[in-house]
Amino acid sequence: MAPQADLLPGTLDVLVLKAVSLGPLHGYGVLLRIEQMTQGALLVEQGALYPALFRLEQQGLLETEWGVSDNNRRAKYYQLTTTGRRRLKDGVASWNRLATAMAAALGTRTGEA
Amino acid sequence: MWNRISLWLTSLVQRARFDRDLSDELEFHLRARAAHWEERGLTPREAMRRARIEFGSIDKAKAQVRDVRFGMWVAHVEQDVRYGLRMLRKHAGFTAMAVLSLGIGIGANTTIFSIVNAVLLRPVPLGHPEELVTLYERNQETAFSSLSYPDIKDVRDGAASAFTGIAASTIAIAQIDEPGGAVSVVGEAITGGSFSVLGIEPQLGRPILAEDETAHATVVMLSHGFWQRRFGGDRSVLGRELRLNGRPYTIVGIAPAEYRGGIPVITPAFYVPMIMLDDLMGVEMLDARGVHNSFARARLARGVTRAQAETVVARVAASLTGKRPDGWVPNSGFTLYPTANVRIHPQLDQILRAAAGLLLVVVGLLLLLACTNLTSFMLARALDRRREVCLRLAVGATRGALIRQLLVESLLLCMGGGAMGLALAVGLLNALLGADLHLPYGIGLDVLGLDPGPNWNVLTFAAGISVLAGALLGLVPALQSTRPDVAATLKTDNATVGAVGPLRWRNALVIAQITVSLVLLVGAGLFLRSWQQMLGVDPGFGRPPSAILSIFLPTSKFTADEARRQTRLLLERFGALPGVEAVGVTNDLPLDTSNTVIRFTVDGHVPPPGQDTFSADLAAIDGAFFDAAGVALLQGRTFSDLDTPNSEPVAIVSKATALRYWPAGDAVGRLMRASGERQTHLRVVGVAGDVDVRTRGESPRDMIYVPFTQRDNDPRRSFVARTSADASQLGLTLLKAGREIDPDLRVMETKTMAQHLAVTRMPAEVIALVMSVFGGLGLGLAALGLYGVVSYTVTTRTREVGIRMALGARAGVVVRLLASQGMRIVLIGGTIGMALSLGVMRLANGLLFGVETFDPFTLVTAPVVLGTTACLAAYLPARRASRVSPLAALRSD
Repeated sequence: MAPQADLLPGTLDVLVLKAVSLGPLHGYGVLLRIEQMTQGALLVEQGALYPALFRLEQQGLLETEWGVSDNNRRAKYYQLTTTGRRRLKDGVASWNRLATAMAAALGTRTGEA
Repeated sequence: MWNRISLWLTSLVQRARFDRDLSDELEFHLRARAAHWEERGLTPREAMRRARIEFGSIDKAKAQVRDVRFGMWVAHVEQDVRYGLRMLRKHAGFTAMAVLSLGIGIGANTTIFSIVNAVLLRPVPLGHPEELVTLYERNQETAFSSLSYPDIKDVRDGAASAFTGIAASTIAIAQIDEPGGAVSVVGEAITGGSFSVLGIEPQLGRPILAEDETAHATVVMLSHGFWQRRFGGDRSVLGRELRLNGRPYTIVGIAPAEYRGGIPVITPAFYVPMIMLDDLMGVEMLDARGVHNSFARARLARGVTRAQAETVVARVAASLTGKRPDGWVPNSGFTLYPTANVRIHPQLDQILRAAAGLLLVVVGLLLLLACTNLTSFMLARALDRRREVCLRLAVGATRGALIRQLLVESLLLCMGGGAMGLALAVGLLNALLGADLHLPYGIGLDVLGLDPGPNWNVLTFAAGISVLAGALLGLVPALQSTRPDVAATLKTDNATVGAVGPLRWRNALVIAQITVSLVLLVGAGLFLRSWQQMLGVDPGFGRPPSAILSIFLPTSKFTADEARRQTRLLLERFGALPGVEAVGVTNDLPLDTSNTVIRFTVDGHVPPPGQDTFSADLAAIDGAFFDAAGVALLQGRTFSDLDTPNSEPVAIVSKATALRYWPAGDAVGRLMRASGERQTHLRVVGVAGDVDVRTRGESPRDMIYVPFTQRDNDPRRSFVARTSADASQLGLTLLKAGREIDPDLRVMETKTMAQHLAVTRMPAEVIALVMSVFGGLGLGLAALGLYGVVSYTVTTRTREVGIRMALGARAGVVVRLLASQGMRIVLIGGTIGMALSLGVMRLANGLLFGVETFDPFTLVTAPVVLGTTACLAAYLPARRASRVSPLAALRSD
């Protein structure tokens, strides 16, 4: 397994939105999707996932529906709203700007680190 | 903030479901994760354990989700409320005492406020009240006298330019048929168009119109209360008939519930057109200028100021003085008073405002006492919890969070107290409203329009003072106990270090309590003395047990001769009843609400400046009245059958009158000249003892009695029957006997003399009672506070006491030592209280009867009562300490 990095503050929301953007997921599914997307490189604290989900729902970015899981259990599914989709776009754009800037800034040093 | 609260409230309902769903969701997560680990070869047990460890604290996650969902602030308060409730349950005794004393304090405040709100604060329901003025007649005695209807007509005609309309009201009393027989109800005769002048819409049907007056229409409007009482609020009463004094009137409308008529204090049952008054009552009153039984309100014409209108009505008064019609007292005038400022009557309002202010201050002090008491208890508890608090501060709780939690606790207490207080107030108001005050025509406190069910003003008030009390109660202990000298407290093994501050606070609070309760006691003492003085005053009549039957002999039904004959017939019939020892009659009972005035001159005496006559109160009686009513006859003779309409007009004067005009004591045989319709002389044939005529305990007023046989223009008759038996049943016996003679007898009321006199004493009695209750409560609360302080000192000094006793101190010395601190508090509080009391005495003097400004009895008794109670409150806990065995004391803590 690759070494894991802690999440930067604020990144969990974008990751959750991204995970859900590919289709409705229950909470555990979101966790798995993030792990899968990052190939396990990012450590998502499971306890922190649910407050984030509820916060996004509260903000109207996610909507929820109770459904039945693959193994026939009652589960709550999260889905992106239109606002959520827009927010994801913004989030991705701003993250990319930041990443480019960071990479540029860090890349100017000769890279012995 | 409000959004958050409403979100919280709605979510409370969904709360259970929300929590269940959240648990389900997390449970699903854990099971899925466990399945994931099982697939990788772990036992189910291991897998679940692994899943849980990975997840971290489930409770923390739930709490965070709840914070997100319900907001941090609300979640914390909710937690505080839960914790607070748990603490209050744990200290059930304290909680019960706190809720009880707060309940009493808040209940007293709410009751008084309800009354003040109903009487003084609630706006009068009139359209554009700022344009309305209330009309009064101004004479030597008052600027706010009621009017007689001819005067109102003169103002209406003579000052038409100043007003767009005048609404006049006169009392109209009518018997209506009830299942149990005829009863008298009080209504109003109003000028047509009154309701539109006042800007009031009937809630049903139409008002009395100007056309009704022109047509002499027998139409009637009902008041809301009467409509509810008699017809159960039936909306189909419109068009039905109501028999008033035997004549059918058609019901045309219902007045709005909040309108209480145009006559002070009386809420009428019905309204009839003014023009029907004489027909209804069977007397000629519409043209009787001297009879001041009307009230009027006028709407100022557009662009006319009150001052301009006053000049116009002054011209009307001047022209009346010029014409000198019968019944118009020369140089009288009219007062225009802003209607919006009138609650009941300008002069009465002033007294009521003072009384309301006094009562509000007193109940406010009472609540303050309850609060300070609880504050000192909470301070003591905060001290006990000081180590807990310090520990929590040390491990990182913020001071704000702790203060919030203590405040929530005290607010919870106050909400309990507030709920109890509100219930208490509603009960008290209902009791007051239901009380039979023995007022004429069954008038009770409901005339104030008191609404026993809590209305918004009252609810807001109760909630407001509850929250205020809660804040007051919680803030000081909260600030004190969370002062962040953490290290010092944690290091010591008991709470004495750092306790100095709170203890000083407690002492200050108890000093304040002693002060306040002494002031309350002095107040109670003063009003009790005032009441006692009043009881001791002989009103000059009514001492022997007797009953009163008041009737009305309509002049339309009885000529003067017939009325005299009817009166004689009734007197004879009543005199023959078993148990009746003497029976007399008067047209105007002393100490009732109406007064008849006679104007006269006496040779050798010059009337006061601006007047051409003297005046005195007048009663038309028969010869036996003095005997029946227990009035002393000091000189000369009483009236007899020989005093007839054709014999020489005679009079009996009161002692005060005799002394004023014939100080040599030779009044009998002298002449007075009565002015008025007939310029007659009156021969004085006797001198009677002074009686209280208008108010209880007044300085003797001039009073003149004439035989009813020689004065035939008053339809009122009050029969007074003295008995050796039980007077309480006699009134009914009189009524039955009277109905045997005349089945249609117009009865105004029956009552015992004791009831009649009780009404005149009532205000003093009520104030004395209320003040005593409040004084007693205050004393109890202060004693409790003192007891608490001394108890606390005793507890913290148990070890010291143990050492002293082990070293051989005697119990008495220890008691004195421990109680002395309490006594110091009493001394300081008492001194301040006495100083304040002297100021209060000066203020209260105007409300007292027959009590000196610095009443020595009260000045001695109140401090003695307080001192004795305080000594007891300090002594009891101190004695308890001295009985502790030294060994146990040393081992404690």
